[in-house]
Amino acid sequence: MEKAIISVLGTDRPGIMAAISRTLSDNGCNIEDVSQTILQTEFAGVVIVSLPEAAALDGIEAALDRALRPMGLSTFARPLDKSVPPAPPAASQPFIVTTMGADRIGLIAGISEVMAAFGANIVNLKAIFRGGEDPRRNTMIYEVDVPVYTDPAAFRKALHARAEELGLALSLQHRNIFDALHRI
Amino acid sequence: MINDQDILATLEMLKVEHLDVRTVTLGISLFDCASDDPDRFMARIREKILGLAAPLVQVCAEVGEKYGIPVVNKRIAVSPLAVAGAPFSAPGFVRIAEALDRTAREVGVDFIGGFSALVEKGFSRGDRALIESLPEALSRTERLCASVNVASTRAGINMDAVYLMGRTIKAAAAASAGADGIACAKLCVFANIPQDIPFMAGAYLGVGEPDAVINIGVSGPGVVKRAIDRARAVEPSLDLGRLSELIKRTAFKVTRAGELIGREVAERLGVPFGVVDLSLAPTPDVGDSVGEIFQSLGLQAIGVPGSTALLALLNDAVKKGGAFASSYVGGLSGAFIPVSEDSNIAEAARSGLLSLEKLEAMTSVCSVGLDMVAVPGDVSAETLAAIIADEMAIGVVNKKTTAARLIPVPGKRAGEKAFFGGLLGEATIMPVNGANGDPTFIRLGGRIPAPTQSLVN
Repeated sequence: MEKAIISVLGTDRPGIMAAISRTLSDNGCNIEDVSQTILQTEFAGVVIVSLPEAAALDGIEAALDRALRPMGLSTFARPLDKSVPPAPPAASQPFIVTTMGADRIGLIAGISEVMAAFGANIVNLKAIFRGGEDPRRNTMIYEVDVPVYTDPAAFRKALHARAEELGLALSLQHRNIFDALHRI
Repeated sequence: MINDQDILATLEMLKVEHLDVRTVTLGISLFDCASDDPDRFMARIREKILGLAAPLVQVCAEVGEKYGIPVVNKRIAVSPLAVAGAPFSAPGFVRIAEALDRTAREVGVDFIGGFSALVEKGFSRGDRALIESLPEALSRTERLCASVNVASTRAGINMDAVYLMGRTIKAAAAASAGADGIACAKLCVFANIPQDIPFMAGAYLGVGEPDAVINIGVSGPGVVKRAIDRARAVEPSLDLGRLSELIKRTAFKVTRAGELIGREVAERLGVPFGVVDLSLAPTPDVGDSVGEIFQSLGLQAIGVPGSTALLALLNDAVKKGGAFASSYVGGLSGAFIPVSEDSNIAEAARSGLLSLEKLEAMTSVCSVGLDMVAVPGDVSAETLAAIIADEMAIGVVNKKTTAARLIPVPGKRAGEKAFFGGLLGEATIMPVNGANGDPTFIRLGGRIPAPTQSLVN
C-alpha cells in the first residue's frame, strides 16, 4: 500500500484536526500516525496516511487545500519514499541535554552541530526563547540518542565547551534519571 | 517526550537545592581474612579491600556523571574489627587501625568504618582490646571511623560499656587535644545499631550481610526545604497534613535517584546492591541544612517549643516517601541533627535556643541521637557516660536506633567554639546541666535489663 506524508501549517484555531481528518477519510485515506504541536500561536501538524490507490495523492492534496485554505492553513503532501530504507538504528543510549542562558542567534545551531559531529541523533527538541537575560526564559531541551561507541567524556567536554562559547549553562544526563524521579 | 517541567524541576533539585548521593559505601567482609598473626591479617585485609574497592572511586565518578548527580563521598565499611580481629591486643588493634587508614588512602575513599565492637550484652576479649585501642587508633588516623554498640532493646543497656565509653571518649579527646578532640568526632556509641548503615561514623558491615555489598546514603535537606518554601509561597494556607504529603513526595524522588545510582554502581563493581538509607543529612553549606526546614515550617529555630513535633512529622514523612520509592530502604533513614555539621543547628546552639536537653528530647523521634555535640573539656567521664546512658535508654525503650557522638573539647568551655574542618564543621560548645556531679549511679555498673515489650506506655 502506498503511503504519503502530509503537513499542515497555519495559525491555530479550533477545528483544524477535524477538518484534516474529515477530508482524509472522505478521500479514503487511513491515518496511521499523527503529531501536532503549537508554537506560540502557530499550529503545525504532520500526518502519515495510507492511500486508497497510488495515483490519488494529487487529488487528496487539492481536497485538503480546498478545505483548509479558507481557515488560513497551508498544506504540503508528498509520497513516502520507500526506495531508501531507513538506516538501521545504531545501538544507542538516551540522554537529555538542557541549556539555559541569555538569548542570541545561533544557539540551536551551535549545540546541535556538536551533537551531529558525535553521531548523536536528536529525537525530540523543545526550545523556548522569550528573550532577555533570565536563563529560565530561554531554555532548550534535547532528547538525544547517543551511539554506544561515543566516548561519553569527549561528548560531554565538547558540549560544555560549545555551551561556554555561547554563554549557556548546559547539563547532560542519562534519561533514566528523569524516569526514575518522575515515573512510578 | 519527558515533561519539560519535570526536567527543569530535576535540574533545580540538583543545581540549586544540593540534591546529591551523599555516600556510596562498599561493605566488605573481613571474616575470611582472620588470622592470629597480625601481619598476615593486615596483608589479607589490604589485599581484599584493594581487590574490591580499587575501582570504587572511578566507578562512582562515572555513574554520577552519567546521571548528572554527584556522588559526594566514597566510603568503605568492614566487618566489626573486634570480631574479625578478636585474637589481637590493643597495640595490635592500633596497628590494624593504621593499616586500614593507609588502605583507605590508597583506594581514595574518605572514610573507612567498621572499627567496631558490639557489646550490648557483654565483652569478649577482642571487644575490650579494640575499645582500649580507640584513643590511640582514632588520634593516629584520619579516615578511620569507629562505633560501639552498647545497648539494644533485646539485651538492655550494658552500663559497664557505657562507663567505659565515657572514659574512652575522654581519653580520645585528650589524645587529639591539639585538634579540638577530633578523634571523638569519628567515634559513635550506639543502641540498636543497624547492620547496613552507609553513613559514618556508624557504618560497619553486619555479620548477616553479604561478602561485599553496596549501600547508598542519599540526602537532600535542601530539596525538602525548597519544596516547602515553594509550596507555601503559592498556597500559604497549606496545613501540616498537606505539607507532610509534600515532604513524602520529595523524599520519594530523592530515594529513587539514590537507588538508580546505587544499583548501577553495584552492577559495575559486580557486587550486590544492599539498601538506600534515606536520611536528611545536612552539610555545613547554607541551603543544605535540616535546621532551615524548621524555619521554613514556621519555627524561630530548631530547639524552640514545637521542635520535637515538627521533627516527628519530618522523620515520618521522609520514611514513608522512601519506603514507597524503594523496597530496600535501610540504614537509619530519617533526619540527622548533627550540631556541628549543620550551620543552622550550630547557630541555634550558639544562641542558646537549642539546649542539650532539647536535643535529647528530639532524638526520641528522629533517626540518630546526640550527634556531633561539643561539650566542655572538663566534663567528667562519668557525666559523659550518663549522657550516653540517657540516649541509649531512649533507643532501647522506643525500639529504635540512637547514638551519641560527644566531643569534650580539651581546654575549652561552654560558649567557645570548636573547629573540626570540612564536613565535620564547627560548633559552639554546649553547656551540660549538672555536669560533674555525683558519679555514683554510673559507677554502679552492671546491665540495665531489657524493657518489657508488651506493657506499652
